[in-house]
Amino acid sequence: MIAYILRRLLMLVPVLFGVVLVSFSLLHLVPGDPAQIMAGEVATAQDIARIRAEYGLDKPLVVQFGHFVWNAARGDFGISIQSRHPIKELLFQRLTFTLQLSLASILVASTIGLLAGMISSTRQYSVFDTASMLGALFGISMPIFWLGILLILVFAVKLHWLPSGGTGSLRYLVLPAIALGSASAAVIARMTRASMLEVARQDYIRTARATGYAERVVIFRHALKNAMIPVLTVFGLEFGYMLGGAVLTETVFSLPGIGRLLVEGIFMRDYPVVQGAMMVVGTTFVLVNLLTDVAYAFFDPRIRYD
Amino acid sequence: MRRTWWALVLALMVGAMAFVPGARAATQPVSGGTLVYGAGADPDSLDPANTDSNTGEAFGHMMNNYLVKFDAKVKIHPDLATSWTQSKDGLTWTFKLRKGVKFHDGTPFNAEAVKYNFDRFLGPEKPLKSGLHDVIIKSVDVVDEYTVRFNLKAPFAFFLNNLAHSATGIVSPAAHKKWGKDLTLHPVGTGPFKFVEWIRGDHVTLVRNDDYYEGKARLEKIIVKTVREDSARVLGLEAGDYDLIVRIPPEEVPRLMREGKVRIDAEQSNRTLRIGFNMTKKPFDDLRVRQALNYAVDKESIVKNIYQGLGAVVPDVVGPLNIGYAPIKGYGYDPAKAKKLLADAGFPNGFKTTLWTPKGRYLKDFELSQAVQQQLAAVGVDAKLETFEWGAYMALTRKPRDEAKQEMYLIGWAPSTGEARWGIYPIMSCDQWAPTGSNSGFYCNKEMDQMIAKSVAATNMKERDGFLQKAQEILVQDAASIYLLATKETVGMSLKLHDIINSPLELVYADKDTWKEK
Repeated sequence: MIAYILRRLLMLVPVLFGVVLVSFSLLHLVPGDPAQIMAGEVATAQDIARIRAEYGLDKPLVVQFGHFVWNAARGDFGISIQSRHPIKELLFQRLTFTLQLSLASILVASTIGLLAGMISSTRQYSVFDTASMLGALFGISMPIFWLGILLILVFAVKLHWLPSGGTGSLRYLVLPAIALGSASAAVIARMTRASMLEVARQDYIRTARATGYAERVVIFRHALKNAMIPVLTVFGLEFGYMLGGAVLTETVFSLPGIGRLLVEGIFMRDYPVVQGAMMVVGTTFVLVNLLTDVAYAFFDPRIRYD
Repeated sequence: MRRTWWALVLALMVGAMAFVPGARAATQPVSGGTLVYGAGADPDSLDPANTDSNTGEAFGHMMNNYLVKFDAKVKIHPDLATSWTQSKDGLTWTFKLRKGVKFHDGTPFNAEAVKYNFDRFLGPEKPLKSGLHDVIIKSVDVVDEYTVRFNLKAPFAFFLNNLAHSATGIVSPAAHKKWGKDLTLHPVGTGPFKFVEWIRGDHVTLVRNDDYYEGKARLEKIIVKTVREDSARVLGLEAGDYDLIVRIPPEEVPRLMREGKVRIDAEQSNRTLRIGFNMTKKPFDDLRVRQALNYAVDKESIVKNIYQGLGAVVPDVVGPLNIGYAPIKGYGYDPAKAKKLLADAGFPNGFKTTLWTPKGRYLKDFELSQAVQQQLAAVGVDAKLETFEWGAYMALTRKPRDEAKQEMYLIGWAPSTGEARWGIYPIMSCDQWAPTGSNSGFYCNKEMDQMIAKSVAATNMKERDGFLQKAQEILVQDAASIYLLATKETVGMSLKLHDIINSPLELVYADKDTWKEK
């Protein structure tokens, strides 16, 4: 197991190299020049040339890329072209925040999703089942942007219960976590239901019931644990997506997460910021997937990694 | 009898209202409190010499002072300089400086500090805005501790405007020596508020400068939060999370005004929007075509319907609040005339072209372009709309003449020095063709250039404004763009907030007199 984990971690190196290479190439393919954006509309050609030279943007692309990789390998991500903030500091702040938001959202998603899915599967075709699956359909189809605005309107503007956006205490995380978590809750609910129904038809469940176990024991000890494998895959993917792709939620609620750093970096053509953020997103995605794989072994002892 | 009875009741009610404490509080400024300001973007830099964003410049006005400053109508007033004289030949300006002013780090403000700040613009560091001064100033001399002399390369009629420009905020020489370019992360000025922290993408915090030369500011603290999404800012203001927000979408304004829970303040900004023509491409080299397209667009209706009245039609590229603005006659809406001019130019059935537009850079930019597209279609001109994200847009519209692909393109300009010369020169003169300058339409009229040059050299203000008027008349005659409108900066604030500055330079900030009811 340890060897497996180490091997997967080693794989991070080529993965990250690929991520950086692709993002670097794509960024340089689209028109736009960080020096020009920074210098603004009034800038003369001379101003732009000066800024390009200062940040090494006048060097050949291969040299720029090599420079970034060499420095990044030594833990030096440089400074933001736009604001001169050290990128390591920016990434750390943003990642801390994104982790908080993602954890809160996955908590919302898994609590609602697992509960709804389980109850639905044990009461198939009941009113609860129909209602919760309709709710799940709603959750999946609702644009995050719209849901976010709706939540703000109700809980911040009308009821004054929670803040409309920004950062601060845990209260600031409630609405974004619901907005971000609801779509995942819906996916998890549907997956749990389907997986539970599938497992419930298996022979060993019938045997368990025939042995005389209480229904609660059958569901929790026998069915749920096995039904969790596909749900875990979804769980891992959703969590990974939250870590890197929460940009809409971050925008509606004005949250300084890694997703917005990335998108704003792209708009400003702030190359070092984009590359740094892509590395962080890539790493978290790989780590979450690894954790998911490790969790498989916990839920299903037959799964072994050698 | 009955009438007397009612009069008595009314008099009692009015008398009672005068003693309601809340009613008095609104007119009596109080000290203390925190202003939470929802800005549309992070500052790009907190070093005045290196910022090119409205947010960055607004911070500059809260943390710094200038030798001379603009008031809310872009008129010049003394600030760190108390008086000044100009030599007869216009080449030397001498400023008497205010005594007893200290930077936030405790170091004194004096003539040496002024010289240090301008030497920074003239020297090898070349901050972003050095172009504002290094083409004009030859050298700066310290006459005595509180007198400083500027020697210019040539007379420059708008020198005071350049000194009042946001970039010319006087920063602490000690701080600049210590931090260099990283002054942006550790700004130190003399202004009413001091820097505390900048968490990028989240907020910047300022606190009151207790040693401010004009006396302590009323507000104790300012937190400027980055709230990029327009609707999130409006909702946050309505929820009471922000005391002040900028750039309210025009379609929200009627509702917010009707509900009356927040205060809306719309001030004319000096930004004008226009549709540029690439004059090197046919048929835009034909004056009749350019005039026809100007007649084809109903600007009044655009201001009314797209901007909800929050804008003003302009005759050319200069906005009404700039020094040297000439209220001359522009092109009215006359589609019949437009069709006739097009027919005369050999296009009785119109022609096909493209109209480039940014989306989200200027207020309602995309909607504006759509409206222009539809109105051009009405006179037979089929303009295909092409949208670009701002970074790409800038790169594409700043290509040299032989690589430039734009035909018609929406573009805005806001002269940050508050005068017409800077409203025209960088975007319309022959020596400012892209990529050297911002003249992306490759318009060139030597006579217009001469008028601008003469306005710069004028030492008599009336004469100066005469040259500027002539330049604007030439721009109208040449129909160098479809001239559209000047936008208004619409800010919203809590009913408890008072005396916010909403400047025509698109800068919204608090000064020492800004106050908030308890």
